[in-house]
Amino acid sequence: MQLRSKGRKVILAVMIAAAMGFFSWSLIEPPELSVPQSTGLGYPQLVSVKQLPDFADMCEWPAEDKSSITRLEEARQFELQQASVYAQNGSGTTVDVTRPPVRTLRDTYPIYSSVAVDPNFDEVILQDNNLWATAIFKRTDNTPPNVAFTAPQRLIKGSDTDIQFNNGLYVDPKIGEIYSIESDTGDKIVMFSHDSLGNVAPARHLDTPHRGYGIAVDEERQEMFVTVEYPPQVAVYRKQASGDEKPLRVLMGDNTGLHAIHGIAVDSKNKLLYINNWGNFSNFKVPGTGKFNPPSISVYPIDAKGDTPPIRKIQGVKTQMNWPSAMALNPDTQDLYVANDVGNSILVFKATDQGDVTPTRVIKGAKTALFNPTGVSLDMKNREFWVANLGNSSATAYPLMANGDVTPVRIIRSAPLGYKSTKFGKTEAVAYDTKREEYLVPN
Amino acid sequence: MNHPQIAAFPRLAKENQAPTRSLQGQNTLISRTMHDIHYDSLHDEILVNSPLTQAILVFDGGANGEEAPKRVIQGSKTQILGVGAMDKVSFDPSTGDIYLATARHNIVVFPYGSNGDVAPVRTLGGPDTLIRFIDQTVGSGNTPPIRVDPINNLLVVPTRPPGQIPGLLIFDKNASGNTKPLRVIRGPKTQIAGGQQMAISPKGYIVGGATGGAIGVWSVFDDGDIPPKWRIPVRQMTQLNVNGIDLNHRDKELMVPTGNGNTVMTFYFPEIF
Repeated sequence: MQLRSKGRKVILAVMIAAAMGFFSWSLIEPPELSVPQSTGLGYPQLVSVKQLPDFADMCEWPAEDKSSITRLEEARQFELQQASVYAQNGSGTTVDVTRPPVRTLRDTYPIYSSVAVDPNFDEVILQDNNLWATAIFKRTDNTPPNVAFTAPQRLIKGSDTDIQFNNGLYVDPKIGEIYSIESDTGDKIVMFSHDSLGNVAPARHLDTPHRGYGIAVDEERQEMFVTVEYPPQVAVYRKQASGDEKPLRVLMGDNTGLHAIHGIAVDSKNKLLYINNWGNFSNFKVPGTGKFNPPSISVYPIDAKGDTPPIRKIQGVKTQMNWPSAMALNPDTQDLYVANDVGNSILVFKATDQGDVTPTRVIKGAKTALFNPTGVSLDMKNREFWVANLGNSSATAYPLMANGDVTPVRIIRSAPLGYKSTKFGKTEAVAYDTKREEYLVPN
Repeated sequence: MNHPQIAAFPRLAKENQAPTRSLQGQNTLISRTMHDIHYDSLHDEILVNSPLTQAILVFDGGANGEEAPKRVIQGSKTQILGVGAMDKVSFDPSTGDIYLATARHNIVVFPYGSNGDVAPVRTLGGPDTLIRFIDQTVGSGNTPPIRVDPINNLLVVPTRPPGQIPGLLIFDKNASGNTKPLRVIRGPKTQIAGGQQMAISPKGYIVGGATGGAIGVWSVFDDGDIPPKWRIPVRQMTQLNVNGIDLNHRDKELMVPTGNGNTVMTFYFPEIF
């Protein structure tokens, strides 16, 4: 009887443990797995890279700090005690080493480089530079603090989409067609119809020069403006251009004052073009011509071409510009909004500003939730503007005339609250800091 | 690229871990297309290229935030030229001397501590060197990585003459002018790819890009059409490309960043240490 009772207790204990284990497993389930599968929208993920336990510490060396030269010398001494390379592998054949990586450093959440708001369809479009996707959310989405993330309505993602390290976004104000420009490995603008979903080929594409960044469209003239970071140029195409169609005109040359250009805004009414510059300059054909200039916004006639100098410039320490990125112009008030990446701010200038001026408004501070903002888009219908935050996988919305340390009216998060992104963007090199035992990873 | 940065992560960092520090912003002078980076443990400094401004930047080893570089090599005397790409820079770990491949199919060398508009102390290039990089056009054509083996006092230079398969040229690290290489590793058996990555292990192994998206290992003493001693079939195993390589000697690890996956993989590879 006692044995039977003990047996029952054991069985009960095993069942409870199994249930708790299953429950615990559910709790630690990666957030992406809790996306409703019925939407078929996909979720934050990269590719399958098997993660094995880190066993490298099994062969730790003494912890004292040594320069790499010391270590090289030690290794050399060690080598002298060993059989030669050829004795170890003297067959002359190649040995395949198929141990999987012991660690993988990556970001499994989106890294949003750009935003476009579509008041017509009540949607917000975000460009993911990390997982290579374009995500479309409801404009009214607002991620509660206790929710890990908001799932997009639609996700355009997959090898057929040709989306890679895309940056600039534009959405057609009438039909909702989405334009997205690639900045490095794709060198093209891809255009998707409004209802595109999943792994679909773009409705059309346009080849662009290497290192494209921003897109702006003059709807009146049906012209599309593309900024190219380096060699710096503004290429102007027909809005409906596709394939290898050549630009209608190109603004380019040493007199243009274009220096590592990024954001662009078009003023159709006053026929002006606004371009911002990070200041990095060189004539790639002439050695030793490199210069570092302060960041600026340069203004040109909308039909400028060739080696045309700017009409005026906004430049100087008062401007607070620090890697200015996307820009947007309010045609009614002539307010020029600038996503100020490293300044963690949105700067608003008057379009007529010139020289070393203080912005008329600065949205910045702990309440704003701005974190490396690189995208900005205006919603004139609902009197709001949206920001893409590269640093924390989010987009934030503010009243159109917001100023100072303001709380966003809504926030769309694609990662848990407080998440800080790796901000990876085409990681092509690495160095090992032996003193601090750190990886140094440039974008 | 949208947001250039130099981000530091603990060695054991895995996914979704924020950097412990990050260099970014106007003051840093960094820009996109940093396809090579080095940590100089002798001087506790970070070395990186600034392609859009024909410059080489040297930061303090613990630099963080918007910290400016300690030294900037830039100007007409430097002969630094990038046609679409000046995307890699290298150094001699035993001295700190800086080596730079240029679009003129040559290598310029600056002594440690160089700053401002300085001329290189020597240039290696000319027909006898067999140095030939991919011809660069506007916006394309990256220069290859070059590496110094400080133990054997050698310089390893990838080369790829038009219409030929890529190879590796081995020079004395102090070679200058139109000097012939000591050895040439080239031929169909080598499986050398015209990659963007290379490192030298303490045993004199050249760890570099091999055909098929793999990492191959050759020796600085190899000569001729020699197959790699080891191969890690990275793309086959992970579906990711190999874009860079560095080594952690102490822990016998090989780090492989890949641009197309925004990922840094670490392989345990004791054979080469």
